[in-house]
Amino acid sequence: MKKGHIYTFVFMVVLSAILVFALAFAYEGFKPSIANNTASRERRAILDAVGQTQARSDDEVIDAFDAAMKPVQIAGQNAYEYLENGETKAYALPFHGAALWGSVDGYLGVNADMSRTTGIVFTDQNETPGLGGRIDETWYKEQFRDLPIEDGRILTYGSHDDYQIDAITGATQTSQAILRMVNAMIQSVIFSGEVK
Amino acid sequence: MPQISPIVIFFASIITSNMILSNFLGMCSYLSISSEYKTATGLGMAVTLVLTLTTFINWAIYHFVIVPLEIQYLSYIIYIMVIAAFVQILEMAMDRYTPDLYAKLGIFLPLITVNCAILGVTLFMVIRQYGALQSLVYGLGSGLGWWLAINMLAAIREKLKKAKLPPGISGPAISFIITGIMAMAFIGFSGIFTIQ
Amino acid sequence: MADKPMSIIKTQLFSENQVLRQVLGICSALAVTNSMNNSLVMGLGVSFVTGLSSMTLSAMRNIIPRRVRMLVQTLIIAVYVIFVDLTLQAFLPDISKQLGPYVGLIITNCIIMGRAEAYAQSNPPIPALIDGFFAGLGYTGVLLIVSLIREVLGFGTILGMNVNFFGFETWTIAIMPPAAFFIIGALIWGLSARAAKKTVATTK
Repeated sequence: MKKGHIYTFVFMVVLSAILVFALAFAYEGFKPSIANNTASRERRAILDAVGQTQARSDDEVIDAFDAAMKPVQIAGQNAYEYLENGETKAYALPFHGAALWGSVDGYLGVNADMSRTTGIVFTDQNETPGLGGRIDETWYKEQFRDLPIEDGRILTYGSHDDYQIDAITGATQTSQAILRMVNAMIQSVIFSGEVK
Repeated sequence: MPQISPIVIFFASIITSNMILSNFLGMCSYLSISSEYKTATGLGMAVTLVLTLTTFINWAIYHFVIVPLEIQYLSYIIYIMVIAAFVQILEMAMDRYTPDLYAKLGIFLPLITVNCAILGVTLFMVIRQYGALQSLVYGLGSGLGWWLAINMLAAIREKLKKAKLPPGISGPAISFIITGIMAMAFIGFSGIFTIQ
Repeated sequence: MADKPMSIIKTQLFSENQVLRQVLGICSALAVTNSMNNSLVMGLGVSFVTGLSSMTLSAMRNIIPRRVRMLVQTLIIAVYVIFVDLTLQAFLPDISKQLGPYVGLIITNCIIMGRAEAYAQSNPPIPALIDGFFAGLGYTGVLLIVSLIREVLGFGTILGMNVNFFGFETWTIAIMPPAAFFIIGALIWGLSARAAKKTVATTK
């Protein structure tokens, strides 16, 4: 069989067409499930920030979120208010900033009178997997539960009288960036905003 | 687009987040073509050139083709094809217009298509939502960092030819151990850039 | 000439292990070896892509025009990687997020292209599938060994479960990049020292 230019060209066109078609087909098949994941992912994260960490299926997360979380504006930020039996229990305050490699978005949960944190979550971060990306690991985020929030006092790594947070070894820059953006958000939203 | 100065991205990608020493990308050719300093330099140059330009081209393709057409699910294919096509064209252009350079770098070019660092930088650049200038310096910095690493390894391996080594360690094993020590040394640089 | 499945499996898992003996495929995965969970998913992804792309390329081996062979290989591999990526996004979103760009980097994993060139090119589809899949499993095995060492020393856990019974201070170096280089280097050294000893013994 002679394999000239025309054969090569036709071969590539046919092959590409088949592959692209197959991929488009597969993508359509996976799309609902991916969209569902994205929807429940952010809601699950925000619930986690206000301390609601029980295991739930994706659909339950969406229901629970819609039932308990109310979008509110706090100091011009799109925050969420967590209600339990009509009573405000906590807030999820958004923060945003640049870490070592790219932007980080997340929510810091604070209790009703904004005197303690309830948790932290990251909704979008693209630090290096295995290094700075480890901010998304549970042990790191768990350290941000029940930390004191006071005017003029910033959170730092290390052991303190009433709290302790450890930075990620090998990812000092990312760890520092996280505290920097959390502290900045606390000052600008809670203390210099209309809240306190 | 994250608010990170291009200068910081440039230096960080050379030193603190070196493609090889902290991201493990481009290891195959790094290990196999590092026994001579001169060839390592040639490969390093070729990688830097291709990395800088393909990262920028892929940035443009992502923003002006992939996003408008909403074909993110095809993006991997498009990136790798852009890289393959670019390398092919570069090879032909160099052969025609700069035969000297071609004689020096030509043999390395086909190897570059399958160099993980090239695709890796593109993927990181897209995921971190860099702007045009940020992408360009990220590509350039990563290339220079890769070049630096392979030259260091090659220089050490040339010296090692005279050394008496335990059985079985020569070749890849010692290269890995040297790279590990280099990676440890480079950790010492972490923290020299503060991102504000 | 087709090899027996068992002998292919043995070669790919042990005597010619792609990572330790051929030193291929280091790139895309060392970074994820600081936890066994990620390593397992990554390894299975690579096995799946290597197996199926070897099979596909072997089935097509007589109709692929010579001059575009590399291009076709890359294309087929990329398609399977996208399948893996979509599957992870749909069913294991957390792991997909953690692995980040490293899933896409399976495309440039030298093992896949290596098996396509060295084996699928000149063998029928079924042996090519077995060859590719077990080459991937051999790679998974190495990832698991490396990540086991790193996870136990670095976090004191295995697959996320605490095994730090003696309360030793975990080694942070183990979860940082240099440890991956040292462990892989030591494994390769051990194996080639053994192989060298064997050849000496047989020549005597």
